[in-house]
Amino acid sequence: MSKKQRIISLAVWLCLILVSLAGVLLTEDSERAETIRETMRDAVLHDSNKISLFGIAEVNPALISAFTVTGILLIIALAIRLFVIPKFKYVPGKFQLLLERLVGFFDGLGTSNSPHRNGFLNVYIFGAGVYIFFGTIFELFGLQAVTSHGIPISLPAPLSDINAAIALGCLSYLVIMSGGIASNGIRGVGKTLKDFSLPISMSFRLFGALLSGLLVTELVYYYSGLSFVLPVVVAILFTLLHALIQTYVLTMLTSLFYGEVSEVHKTKNKKTKTEIKA
Amino acid sequence: MGIPLNIDWHQILLHLFNFIILTGGLYFLLYSPIKKFIEKRDAHYRGMDSEANEKLDSARELEEQARERLEKIDQEIQEKRVKAEAELSEYTVKRMKEAQDKADKLISDAKASANEEKRAILDSVDKDIISITKEAAAKILHVSTDEAYSQFLDTAERDEGDGK
Repeated sequence: MSKKQRIISLAVWLCLILVSLAGVLLTEDSERAETIRETMRDAVLHDSNKISLFGIAEVNPALISAFTVTGILLIIALAIRLFVIPKFKYVPGKFQLLLERLVGFFDGLGTSNSPHRNGFLNVYIFGAGVYIFFGTIFELFGLQAVTSHGIPISLPAPLSDINAAIALGCLSYLVIMSGGIASNGIRGVGKTLKDFSLPISMSFRLFGALLSGLLVTELVYYYSGLSFVLPVVVAILFTLLHALIQTYVLTMLTSLFYGEVSEVHKTKNKKTKTEIKA
Repeated sequence: MGIPLNIDWHQILLHLFNFIILTGGLYFLLYSPIKKFIEKRDAHYRGMDSEANEKLDSARELEEQARERLEKIDQEIQEKRVKAEAELSEYTVKRMKEAQDKADKLISDAKASANEEKRAILDSVDKDIISITKEAAAKILHVSTDEAYSQFLDTAERDEGDGK
């Protein structure tokens, strides 16, 4: 491309940006369906925008997101199972390597943090990690849904709903407790209950991290004038960082606590008795 | 009594239900088959590794055996060489003795033969000398007789000429 062509392309690109910006500013509707306060409040509490779940009940949009993410992930997993995995080779290609790294990462994380007992843990953190990562990224696609009041909204990340965060945090705690019971019986329950604040901290960590991303994105998108350039950083970069960090944090904490409570406790007295007998 | 932050147990259970379905599905569709494949590949490479190690061990064992055999063969060769050298030296001595005896015999035979020839030659020379001498004497005698006769005749003729 010559220098002249480059200048023309640059000028056309700038003109397009200015024209679209002018169009957005001139056609901006001053009367919004919700004020910024209502939008922010709804992002936190989900008390006004509900979506009908097959006519059975009205649920938060995040639950619809969760079902959608699950559906998409299971369809992709099924396609991979049917068309990709049977063609796996001993010398892997790029996609095979990616899948192996995905499984290997969570497997290694579970095994290194909980060397005594990790079969179920590895499966759990794999599911949780995939769910958190893809669930968080899901909000980037901006899938639209209509509330029961007829207002169109973009579906949020599932874990930006406190109910989803509590579900995952409590389930993680139960998984940790199950590891303790399986390894140490009643003593394992005691060791797990010692960290009674864990489900709350896990739940609210997830919720807070993802909600903050959602709030910043909502705030930015509320003012259409900020919808240029800034969302590239705010939405994509923050969402990707959230996805990576929260995935790592929850899976790592779960495997760490699981490893701690599932460590087999050896009683010294019994040893000495058996030694004396011997 | 309303729970703060719009926490809804019904929705929490729905989220749990959703997550359990997702985890189970991902386990059966992705985690388990991929892990099985990784384990299968690990087992394959471990098998290859152990097979290679076994082959290496057997190769080392064979090398050791071959080395021992070589050492044994070297030892045998050395023993045979010493034995062969001893035999060779014995044989050489024997052959030299035989050669010496043969040479001595040849020399003595040659000497005897030479003496005989010498004697024969001397005899032959003696006979030749005798015959030559005889011939020479005969010739001498013949010449002197002729000369004496001629001289006599000359003398007689001269006397007859003088009138004596």
